[in-house]
Amino acid sequence: MVLYAFIKGIFREALAKKILLTIFGFFTLIIVLLIFAITNSTVDGLQMMLESKSEGGLKEAVMMLQSGIVSGIPMFMLIASMLIITSSFVPDMLKKGHIDLILSKPISRTKIIIGHFMAGIILVFVSFLFLLGIIWLIVSLKTGYWNVNFLYSILWFTLIFAVLYSAVILIGILSRSSILTIIINLLLFFPVSWLLYLANRYFESDQKGIVFGPVAEALLKFLYQILPKAWNMQDMCDAYVTHSAITSYQPLISSLLFMAVMLSVSIWYFNKKDY
Amino acid sequence: MNVIEINGITKNYPAKKFSGDKIKALDNVSFKVGSGEIFGLLGPNGAGKTTLVKILLGITFSSAGKATIFEKPVTDVNIKRKIGYLPENHQYPNYLTGEQVIDYFGRLSGLSKSDLDKTTYKYLKIVGMDEWGTTKIKKYSKGMMQRLGLAQAMISNPDLIFLDEPTDGVDPIGRKEIRDVLLELKNQGKTIFLNSHLLSEIELICDRVAILNKGALIKEGSVEDITTTGNRYIFNTSDLADDMMNKLLMEYKSTVNGRNEFACNVNSVEDVNKIIDYLRSSGILIHGVNREKSSLESMFINLIEQKN
Ligand SMILES: Nc1ncnc2c1ncn2[C@@H]1O[C@H](COP(=O)(O)OP(=O)(O)OP(=O)(O)O)[C@@H](O)[C@H]1O
Ligand SMILES: [Mg+2]
Repeated sequence: MVLYAFIKGIFREALAKKILLTIFGFFTLIIVLLIFAITNSTVDGLQMMLESKSEGGLKEAVMMLQSGIVSGIPMFMLIASMLIITSSFVPDMLKKGHIDLILSKPISRTKIIIGHFMAGIILVFVSFLFLLGIIWLIVSLKTGYWNVNFLYSILWFTLIFAVLYSAVILIGILSRSSILTIIINLLLFFPVSWLLYLANRYFESDQKGIVFGPVAEALLKFLYQILPKAWNMQDMCDAYVTHSAITSYQPLISSLLFMAVMLSVSIWYFNKKDY
Repeated sequence: MNVIEINGITKNYPAKKFSGDKIKALDNVSFKVGSGEIFGLLGPNGAGKTTLVKILLGITFSSAGKATIFEKPVTDVNIKRKIGYLPENHQYPNYLTGEQVIDYFGRLSGLSKSDLDKTTYKYLKIVGMDEWGTTKIKKYSKGMMQRLGLAQAMISNPDLIFLDEPTDGVDPIGRKEIRDVLLELKNQGKTIFLNSHLLSEIELICDRVAILNKGALIKEGSVEDITTTGNRYIFNTSDLADDMMNKLLMEYKSTVNGRNEFACNVNSVEDVNKIIDYLRSSGILIHGVNREKSSLESMFINLIEQKN
């Protein structure tokens, strides 16, 4: 009931601020461009493979194409835009004269936070379902290979968003400013967690070109452990799409832990704060 | 039954971040509000009225003391099902229409769609806003916002309603309408807690009032008690002869205001009747006998000035 009210509220806000329109307009544009690219593909290798008569070659090519669609840069752009859009929800709720009213209603403060968290996730899930779902349909219809695993990318992207959105909620509550929330979270997403991801990959590899001091290495490893691992999760998403094996679920687990901590701190702080 | 019981509520706000200094917004405030009353909380700006209401609604937490509503601690969220609230400077997302504001907050109050379908326009009509339901609230005037806020506060048919400056920005006719709405709610047995500095208005509708100054409760009681200053009566009569005026002056220590009016301090009602007997036996017609009252406003100003 309450969740429904928050979701409806957030969708109304997104509608009113023309956010939904922008998202779906933008997404439709991406889809149209994609159709255009597939039909007039000049990328020789891909074109050749897509036209390949052998079934194996076709599957490879489709997976390569799909893996490109959900690769790092599109992932960052999609999720970053969603973080920007959702960053104003909590600061808007906390405006003087509005939060008073919400808190006077028979809803616990914990539910208010969880409600806003869930509502944001649902908004983003629906958007990704639309975008990636249609892309999947187009690619499948066009090539005749229905790679159902591509649909997992909707869940993975929503999950990556959810992890980062938990930090949006906390910083929104602490700062009450959507600008600050956007800046901090985007920096966390890129470059911070990206650099940590690269550093970790480097530490795990054998080559030791650059030498980090032991303190710096420990610090980087520590930061890598506690901060969300969006880029590892993108790798995992890619593994799902291309039917490859996932070596470790560790990054997912620690990211979910990060999310749980962010939410718990948000709830704890919100529960004791005077408004 | 007491709907609200406040016991020694104290609230300290940090004066400046990290300084450790404190602002005492409320200092050991205690009083009770009975069922079915219209209760007025008065006080100058910054007295702590809003802070007290926020504590009662669980929006702010008290530093010390205890308060209950419907005999449950104010930290219990479930009591809020039966409470309506119109905050001061209330704000709604301005892209909503009046109807959507009611829908959103009605749902947060736990109402279902069918409840809301039935009641939204009923309450918009009560506050005279039924023709504005589908207009975006960014086009509303201040008084219209206030009316919408009042409808919002009533939507869940609460037993207790907190109104913080409900007539702020409302024109005189609108104020009269709002007073009528409040009296109607009272007739239905609802309890109303009103924050205001519009003393003439409070005087018109409140049963009891409490006066806060700088966070401390300085007076509490019925409007009648607070405005009645003492045992001073004013007599209006037909023309008094000179010797009678003298006698009233000397014997009854009256202040004579002219041939037709005099005022007199008495010890009891018997004294009043003695004077009436004297006047009647002297063939004077009595037009009226009234116990003198000061207005709530002059009382209020006196009290606040004494304290400062
Ligand atoms: N969030 C806050 N942080 C710090 N001090 C506050 C806060 N809210 C209120 N105060 C202080 O508490 C005191 C009481 O404020 P409050 O808003 O309760 O007064 P009020 O009686 O409602 O005044 P008004 O008639 O102007 O509405 C004031 O001194 C105010 O500065
Ligand atoms: Mg106030």
